[in-house]
Amino acid sequence: MVGHTQQLVLDSAEKIFANGCNKSVLDAAEVGQFPEALWALVRENGFHLLALPGSGAELEDVFAVLKIAGRYALPLPLAEVLLANRWLNHDGDELISIGLMRDSQVVEVPWGRQASRCVAVNAQNELMEVTGGDLRRRSNLAGEPRDVLIEVQSSIVHVEEPVFELMALSRVALSAGALQRVLELGLQYATEREQFGRTISKFQAIQHTLAVVAAEVAAVLRSADAAVEAIGDARFAMEVATAKARTGEAVGIVAEAVHQVHGAMGFTYEHELHHFTRRLWAWREEYGNEVYWQARLGRHICALGADNVWDFLATRA
Amino acid sequence: MLQFDRVSLPDTTDQLRREVRVFLSECDDLGRANSDFTTGHNAEFSRQLGAKGWIGMTWPKAYGGAERSFFERYVVTEELLAAGAPVSAHWVADRQSGPLLLTYGSEAQRQKYLPGIVKGESFFSIGMSEPNTGSDLASVRTTAKRVAGGWLVSGTKLWTTGAHLNHYIISLVRTEPPSENRHAGLSQLIVDLKSERVAVRPIKNMAGGEDFNEVVFDGAFVADDDVVGEPGNGWEQVTSELGYERSGPERFLSAFRVYVEFVRLVATDPSVHEAAAVGRIAAHLKTLRRMSMSVAGMLENRKTPNVEAALVKELGNNFEKLLPEIARLALPLSGDRTRFQEAYQDTLLLSPSFTLRGGTREILRGVIARGLGLR
Ligand SMILES: Cc1cc2nc3c(=O)[nH]c(=O)nc-3n(C[C@H](O)[C@H](O)[C@H](O)COP(=O)(O)OP(=O)(O)OC[C@H]3O[C@@H](n4cnc5c(N)ncnc54)[C@H](O)[C@@H]3O)c2cc1C
Repeated sequence: MVGHTQQLVLDSAEKIFANGCNKSVLDAAEVGQFPEALWALVRENGFHLLALPGSGAELEDVFAVLKIAGRYALPLPLAEVLLANRWLNHDGDELISIGLMRDSQVVEVPWGRQASRCVAVNAQNELMEVTGGDLRRRSNLAGEPRDVLIEVQSSIVHVEEPVFELMALSRVALSAGALQRVLELGLQYATEREQFGRTISKFQAIQHTLAVVAAEVAAVLRSADAAVEAIGDARFAMEVATAKARTGEAVGIVAEAVHQVHGAMGFTYEHELHHFTRRLWAWREEYGNEVYWQARLGRHICALGADNVWDFLATRA
Repeated sequence: MLQFDRVSLPDTTDQLRREVRVFLSECDDLGRANSDFTTGHNAEFSRQLGAKGWIGMTWPKAYGGAERSFFERYVVTEELLAAGAPVSAHWVADRQSGPLLLTYGSEAQRQKYLPGIVKGESFFSIGMSEPNTGSDLASVRTTAKRVAGGWLVSGTKLWTTGAHLNHYIISLVRTEPPSENRHAGLSQLIVDLKSERVAVRPIKNMAGGEDFNEVVFDGAFVADDDVVGEPGNGWEQVTSELGYERSGPERFLSAFRVYVEFVRLVATDPSVHEAAAVGRIAAHLKTLRRMSMSVAGMLENRKTPNVEAALVKELGNNFEKLLPEIARLALPLSGDRTRFQEAYQDTLLLSPSFTLRGGTREILRGVIARGLGLR
């Protein structure tokens, strides 16, 4: 997408998600209330079709939108809808979700209860149409619907793209946005909260804690960007591995640190911080956690051998 | 400030990278088990690099430079470090003394000093720290007193890497008595380390090496011509060096040889634990390298990325300490460990310095916090 149009899309995503994802919407979504109004806005603005071939947008723009969704903890399966519509070449308004095959008959599907149709991916980059099965309502530790379908039938859908890696990258993009937000919340709280007659931001321990957080967030943003940039390239899978592994490491550090800065207030349900930190903790496990991706990356490097390690790292981009 | 833009090295760098690798493969055993940039001082090696045109690469041709980009310089420096080449002799001159003279030096200084640096024949040290001045750099006590035609310098510089072997030291000194503005009255002087009334004493470090020194000035004469920039402008000048000093590949590659030897040990049929350790290190390295390359891009665009450089150094130095830990805990019982042990022990003994030299971790976190608007 050309720069100007791209900016318009990102700006309107920012506006819609910022207005639509306030604390009460997030709270309601967590107790099972589907955010109809927000979903309607997403469709009216055509965000659900952004990844369709011919939409004018590139996958790069799609992941930029997901980053913004993560920033606001958008309580919708936007990544699933976008990529399902792309892979099925579906331009309707029904909600199609994408799950992960746990075994040949069990699928874990975000918002399965809401979906009119489900597909699923596995780690071999296969996409499957999923039919039948019993739905068990489940959720992840952020309260996002992660339903389980058991005793499903499945049949392969042919797609050219590395579906598993792209789903993993969706979690990187969402996390990158949420991490940015968590840093902002930390900075805001530190410059408002006063103790000992000054804002806590004046204490060096707090400054250093937030400096570490900023460094982690900067690293995640850069690695996420690099993986997006490698879409379509032979090194894509290993760039996703890099980004997912690096992001997972950062999540642990950042969530811990920013909760510490918030004191007891950040431990309340009332405060919004947990809507982001809990999502981060959930997303780092989805589509392979750090060790899964580190091991894939590591096996790839071991196969190259010690004397080729540097050449593997020293890419031009 | 958290924005580290994508950078793609120009495709011309492929050829350059190959040339550097060929050159390194033809060097006799470089004899080093680590990738630390301060520990291998080899004048002959630096001269050979100079002959290749790989020192002062970005500088104007008028002074012997090659007018190449910061990206090309980046490729050369990272290849040297990854191979564990002995780069210490020319490193500081190439990285920051030359750029300092190009920004603030007089025409006469550039003509006098830069061509020798480019040839790999003229080596510089950084004269900032003192016995009572570490992190609080503005507190330097070494003074320069006005005399006819120049200055008399008295005081002691400490931890001066390479001063026992290098030719010059660019010293930060007080040229005016301390005043309310702590940053005023400081100047940078080029002092010939072989001149009279300059005594250099090597200091042995805990790894057994003698790389840093005590440098005592006992009324050493420095001509007016060797004051860098305006007298009194020293503070602005030293802080301008930080983007160069803190963001390069030497800030995250010091432990790289440990990684190579670690992969050599686990390479055939790694367990999940071993493979994950290999991958974890790679994920950090790839990300740090990209952040560092982004800063090279900012330098290329004549920006002053001091906070970004601090972020790279903060992440990079912590990672350099973490790398040997990750490797050590995933080491298989079998296999010939000789080369790994050599790299590991060398690096571990040097590792306390990683988060000290060039600005301590605590100082960097302060710089980042200021960039975040917290102070
Ligand atoms: C291998 C090596 C090579 C070096 N080479 C050179 C060289 O070539 N030229 C040169 O000029 N210098 C050199 N140095 C010196 C280096 O720049 C200093 O070590 C560094 O600036 C810290 O100073 P210091 O060692 O006096 O520690 P100090 O400043 O005394 O600090 C001691 C501890 O206190 C902490 N601290 C200090 N101030 C604060 C603060 N405000 N808030 C929180 N914590 C604080 C520090 O972070 C550190 O942990 C070298 C050092 C090493 C280890």
